[in-house]
Amino acid sequence: MTPVMQFWLLIVVLAIGTWSMRSFPIILHGRVPHPAWLERLLKHVPVAALTALVVPGALYVHEGSAYSFAPARTIAAVIALAVALKTKNVVATLAAGMGALWLAQWALAALG
Amino acid sequence: MRHSVAMPRTRHSLIEGAKGVAPILIGVIPFGLVAGAAVRQAGFGLAEAMGMSVIVFAGASQIAATTLFASGAPLWVALGTALIINARMFIYSVSIAPLLAEAPRWLRPILGYMLVDQNYASTMTEGRHRDDVDIIGYYAGGGIALWTVWQIASIAGALLGPFIPASWGLEFAVPLVFLAMLAPAMKDRTAVGVAIVTGIAAAVFVTLLPLQSGLIVAIITGMAFGAWTDRPRPGEDR
Repeated sequence: MTPVMQFWLLIVVLAIGTWSMRSFPIILHGRVPHPAWLERLLKHVPVAALTALVVPGALYVHEGSAYSFAPARTIAAVIALAVALKTKNVVATLAAGMGALWLAQWALAALG
Repeated sequence: MRHSVAMPRTRHSLIEGAKGVAPILIGVIPFGLVAGAAVRQAGFGLAEAMGMSVIVFAGASQIAATTLFASGAPLWVALGTALIINARMFIYSVSIAPLLAEAPRWLRPILGYMLVDQNYASTMTEGRHRDDVDIIGYYAGGGIALWTVWQIASIAGALLGPFIPASWGLEFAVPLVFLAMLAPAMKDRTAVGVAIVTGIAAAVFVTLLPLQSGLIVAIITGMAFGAWTDRPRPGEDR
């Protein structure tokens, strides 16, 4: 399978799975089993998923499965986190994070 | 309110629903730009970028699936991670279903497709307490506004993506947009605990487990920690 076909497969299966999860309770008037333990687990999806998506990119750069620590990224991510917590503003977080990354890369290169 | 006589109720509700999500629309634009650009930077075309944003229409999972796939993760890891991210919508759907119970049968699959974080929040916290609106119209109005802005931002990102020089390090924008979403979600001590546990698990497992499957393990670890923290204790009703 070519990468383009694989990517379309990813799109279609992700779409069907996502649509099913968000539509069936509405279609069935909420008459789907939703045990308390499942609700307790799914309640934490946003924080857990977002953290898992932030942390590796904030600590490492990777080529395939070889990970190496990237101090400039870590510094920039800490600064961006502070801005995000203080402002709750997406644009400010992006600007602070990218600005800090460029500064930190430049400073670390200058220090040798 | 002053429109309610001149304007049919459905139209009024749609407009009010769009107004309800208006403050969040500005924040949606950078996500859409990143989502669109990520597909192009992964080496795919405009059709794939639009396919992602129109057919899937769930921002965080789109960006995660795209960047994982692009960095060489196998299909099942990209798909599994993205589906876990969207599993939260099942609970949104269960809790919003009673409000949408009057919707005609043909409309319900479309209402499900429109269910995203921002629209859910606006309907549950604001719309349902207003007696000047019809809640289905309010929800649909918010959904249409979010959908339109998301698609425009995605197209813009997909068109601009190929022109962004690699030296800008824009792949770092992906963790940054997730960070911007994460900050407002850390509302209480349990949430901070979940973030710390997941963060440590992600830092460790991503380097240990093959093909970025460590992400899935980290997310499940964090969820389990949160559920364990919230467990019903003896002597409590829940």
